[in-house]
Amino acid sequence: MKTAQEMKPNSVILIDGQPWMVQKAEFTKSGRNSAIVKMKLKNLLSGSTTETVYKTDDKVEPVILERIAVTYSYVADSVYVFMDEDYNQYELNEDDIESVLPYIVDGMTDICEAVFFEGKVISVDLPTMIVRQITYTEGSARGDTSGKVMKPAKLSNGTEIKVADFCEIDDWIEIDTRTGEYKSRAKAPV
Amino acid sequence: MRTRWDIFCHVVDNYGDVGVCWRLAKLLVAEYDCNLRLWVDDLDTFNRLCAADGITLSNSTPTLIQGVSVNYWPSIWPEVAPADVVLETFGCQLPPAYIAAMAAREVKSCWLNLEYLSAEDWVGGCNGLPSPQPNGLQKYFFFPGFRPDTGGLLREAGLIARRRSFQQCDSSRHQFLERIGVNPDPNAALLSLFCYENSALALWLNTLSEGETSYHIVVPEGRIGASVCAWLGRDDYVLGVVYRRGQVSIQFIPFLSQNDYDLLLWSCDFNVVRGEDSFVRAQWAGRPFLWHIYPQQDAAHLVKLDAFLEVYSAGLSAQCRSALVSCWHAWNNGEPPVGNSTLLSGELDLTGHAEQWCRHIEGQNNLAESLVQFYLNSV
Repeated sequence: MKTAQEMKPNSVILIDGQPWMVQKAEFTKSGRNSAIVKMKLKNLLSGSTTETVYKTDDKVEPVILERIAVTYSYVADSVYVFMDEDYNQYELNEDDIESVLPYIVDGMTDICEAVFFEGKVISVDLPTMIVRQITYTEGSARGDTSGKVMKPAKLSNGTEIKVADFCEIDDWIEIDTRTGEYKSRAKAPV
Repeated sequence: MRTRWDIFCHVVDNYGDVGVCWRLAKLLVAEYDCNLRLWVDDLDTFNRLCAADGITLSNSTPTLIQGVSVNYWPSIWPEVAPADVVLETFGCQLPPAYIAAMAAREVKSCWLNLEYLSAEDWVGGCNGLPSPQPNGLQKYFFFPGFRPDTGGLLREAGLIARRRSFQQCDSSRHQFLERIGVNPDPNAALLSLFCYENSALALWLNTLSEGETSYHIVVPEGRIGASVCAWLGRDDYVLGVVYRRGQVSIQFIPFLSQNDYDLLLWSCDFNVVRGEDSFVRAQWAGRPFLWHIYPQQDAAHLVKLDAFLEVYSAGLSAQCRSALVSCWHAWNNGEPPVGNSTLLSGELDLTGHAEQWCRHIEGQNNLAESLVQFYLNSV
């Protein structure tokens, strides 16, 4: 057991036999020097989210999830297949990987992490920074080079993202998968 | 069948925790027909609240007062069947055996944690949220507050009407003050003083004593007594005796029952209050007041003070607001009064504002009703 105040974003706790990931933890002082923490939790099995409140010294049951490095192989009938270095395949439904789905593209070489709970693969995490290619965007309207003016662009899987105005079709860009935000132009992955 | 409630109260210090619990317990029994046990781990403190009603609580046997079964919460917990609704107050830790018994119930108890009152924004976002426990039980957090998304404030049925009627009737006020032995000079402003120790108290009293207005300050027995005595140049005081210094008359009175304390607040032109219970009652009194907030580490209380000032002063003129904020800040920071104590001088129309504020919060949720409704929704 750990105390609620030890739980940080990405910590996982067990509630009623289900793993819940802490997405957000906000601490506030209550009265008489006590404190509470409000958490936004995501159920790693169902994908549902909820909000909870704990006293900071409340006990919670932490879960250490097993993780294995995998790469994306293919998708068939909405089942996404990932493979580890021993060529073991792990199948995940769209719902299991909803948060990373916008960044799954054919031919991607990112080293991902398959996440396991009680021996069963439940999701996949992408690296924090990934590089993707723009397949369509309008030309730069104002010739802005500062990177502050943004415009929409599409990736090869149809995902739309805001990029700097100076980005062009076929440019490679770096994306932060935690926020889904464009970070910079990048070199093509080797 | 009447719904069974257990309220647990751990007395941290002073009378705030038990004061709120006692008021809530009485209200739930009187207005919602609850079958209620109140568990308190310090009956000596609680006895002070009951003494004025001539009641003495015992550690060995439950005492039935106004329909509430008051029980000592012993360190070695006896085997007790959990109630339908279990209210832990202010984050107190329930006995592990009691929690285990709650978990073993076929129909789980509705487990609520009542938190401290705050006007901060985050309170509404936390009110009513679940707090899943490792044993499979679900606890819910309840936050009193001043906004519609909070649990609201404790308010007895007909309270405001009774208060207005009392304040409109000079003889009611006179009779009450006479009953508690307070006979102020008709030209003096009547103040009540109930606060924590404050290093600036002497400076504030100096300001009042050297001004043009006469003040009769009623001091219910409490922590501030020694400081007031020191200002009077005395080692001790006798209850009921009026001590004078300059324009100020000081009168110590015995600790009052909650009902009588209400009447005192209603009778005074200005009230100095503290903590949570007297702070709320001063607002129902519809009279100007000064709040001594419970001091916390890292000055966390000042954030809460400002949050309340923000909502309370919203309808005031810039001049009034500035005077009020400066005065409350000075008092809570242990600093000398600002602006020659304009807050107390009656120059500002704070009485009208206090009545307006009372009307505003009267329209908000009633905490007891919110709790009962939450339970009913859960079954």
